[in-house]
Amino acid sequence: MDILQILVNGIVLGALYACIAVGFSLVWGVLNVINMLHGSFIILGGYLTFFAWFYLGLNPILVLPAVALVLYLLGFALQYLFINKVVTAPVLTTLTLTFGLDMILYNLMTVYFTATPRRVTLDLGIVEFLGVVTPVDRLLGMGLALLLTALLYLVMRGSTIGRAIVAVRMDRQAAALMGIRVNRIYAITFGIGALMAGAAGAVFAMVFPVTTNLTGVFLGKAFVICVIGGLGSVPGALVGGLALGVIESFAGFLLGPQHAITVGFVLMLILLVVRPTGLVGVKGYE
Amino acid sequence: MLGKSWKSAVAATAAAGLVSSAAAVSALAAEEVLRIGAPLALTGGLADEGKKQEAVWQLWLDKVNADGGVEVGGRTMKVEFVQYDYQTDGKRAGQLAEKLITDDEVDVLMAPFGSGHTKIVAAVAERYQVPLIACVASSVSVYDQGFQYLFGTLAPNTGMTESMTAYFKEKMPELRSVAVYGRDDVFPKAMASALADSAKSAGLEVTYNELYAVGTMDHSAAMSAIKAAEPDWVYMTGYTQDLILGRKQMQDLGVEAPIITMVTGPAYREFTEGLGELADGVTSSTWWHHATAYEGAVGPWETTAAFYADFLEAFGTDPDYVHGSCAAAADVLVNAVQTAGSTDKQAVRDALAATEILTFYGPIDFGENGMNQGREMPIIQVHGEEIKVLYPAAIADADLKMID
Repeated sequence: MDILQILVNGIVLGALYACIAVGFSLVWGVLNVINMLHGSFIILGGYLTFFAWFYLGLNPILVLPAVALVLYLLGFALQYLFINKVVTAPVLTTLTLTFGLDMILYNLMTVYFTATPRRVTLDLGIVEFLGVVTPVDRLLGMGLALLLTALLYLVMRGSTIGRAIVAVRMDRQAAALMGIRVNRIYAITFGIGALMAGAAGAVFAMVFPVTTNLTGVFLGKAFVICVIGGLGSVPGALVGGLALGVIESFAGFLLGPQHAITVGFVLMLILLVVRPTGLVGVKGYE
Repeated sequence: MLGKSWKSAVAATAAAGLVSSAAAVSALAAEEVLRIGAPLALTGGLADEGKKQEAVWQLWLDKVNADGGVEVGGRTMKVEFVQYDYQTDGKRAGQLAEKLITDDEVDVLMAPFGSGHTKIVAAVAERYQVPLIACVASSVSVYDQGFQYLFGTLAPNTGMTESMTAYFKEKMPELRSVAVYGRDDVFPKAMASALADSAKSAGLEVTYNELYAVGTMDHSAAMSAIKAAEPDWVYMTGYTQDLILGRKQMQDLGVEAPIITMVTGPAYREFTEGLGELADGVTSSTWWHHATAYEGAVGPWETTAAFYADFLEAFGTDPDYVHGSCAAAADVLVNAVQTAGSTDKQAVRDALAATEILTFYGPIDFGENGMNQGREMPIIQVHGEEIKVLYPAAIADADLKMID
């Protein structure tokens, strides 16, 4: 068995994982909201992409910006109308609210789209290099995932909105005194989180089956990745995603696929005890 | 809140335009009602499967009540379904089964989809000594708990794997090895384990035999290992989304085997739709296929063809084994009530245990553990956009096609 193949499998998967987690991490870090809607946002993005491809014949990559925009607007509206009302309440309150909203969205999708697994059957073939085989759609997904993550990083670092988000995260009161409209920044942040989820969904529609059955799985992965990588930072989600992808890949090979997921959770538990900020997370930093 | 009674007995009678005398008979009969309780997964992960049960029982109910009901001991009884959505939450399935028994006072219960949730409901039914028919649970581990009130219309998994191994060996004499890869869940795990045992008994080398955890989103590591093992036959079990992903990754990572079996992917239309051309050549076992031709059956459909025609007219699509088995379960239930001559739970239970009848779905003869026995289960294969039956020979309409 080629170790290189296992490593490449893990890295490609890890980049996709990072794409799942980056929006979740942002919302958690800035708003202190554990967004239970995140998995459903990803699946909604996947469905929109699938329907655009199936009924209109549009390529998922072309559809991605539109899907991301729709999810941004949805996220912005949900935060502005509902979550902002309780955003300063203890984390359990916002968790319960997003849990309720998730049940509504999840079941609406199940009723109207059914739980039948769908897939964009754009089989783009494989590339082979040094005996390592990689499917083109996964490579493309990895490229898009890295690009989106990098874009978010740049926005957070270099734009006025990004700096305002970071400022709100560091000190809500001080940011408000500086003239930042905090509720609006919260809504924008939540919108960006949903945007990233929608973009991830568009990428995933080419790689994974799209079904509401997977919303919980995506949410669970996002949670583990954030804890491993570190909360609230874009690099944290990237490192956490890549680490989890590679760990699952090697664990699946060495211990059997039955134990691949368990190993990821064990690592999460260890980090919670010995390094609660995650591998690269720094408290208060974005 | 979530429950709704199926009142179509009344609606169907009215729709049939029966004259006043018949309506009077119906009103008298309304005093005696056979109440069937069903916790169903109408939302959540198993919603598609739960809705299949709901749809086929509605079709069955309309058919039965259009004839005025069922004859029991010289009287006519109407049939009513009381159902609740348990939202694919196993614990809630158990709670709702209890509510159906104690609050709604149903006479008998139908189990929900899958071996795992059936087991939960079976424990409740056993506690209250209410007969329960499971139409979509085939793992022996559900039936070996000593339950006296549980009966299942699907046949044991082991029968499927033995006949499949024998069939492939016959069709491909050079078949030497098999890779087995199953989801770590009640039914898929049981099937994977049964196949590995059957393959070993038949002299095949099992070159890979692993399970994957529920929630696995990537099969790269397993597929890379299977590729290295170079098996002649890959046998994977799981739910449709697992199988779609698994088949896609087999292709991506270059797993090449002349026979690929995915249980029970090709039994579902969504499997072939989700895979497109990659589904071509994939084989599976299934408990029933509408190509099977039984005649002289009990219940509202005397032949398989009659059921198929009604189903096609009502839904515009082919029925799968879930539809067939669940409609037949309702026939079995009515037959037992008729044999018992009442809805007395113990009498119905005893009548079920002694059942030996032919339905449009095939023969039903419950063994000691409550499972249906003595059925020859079909092997099916995707040929282009069609599902062909390879085995048993009596109903086969195609020969095994190797995957290039």
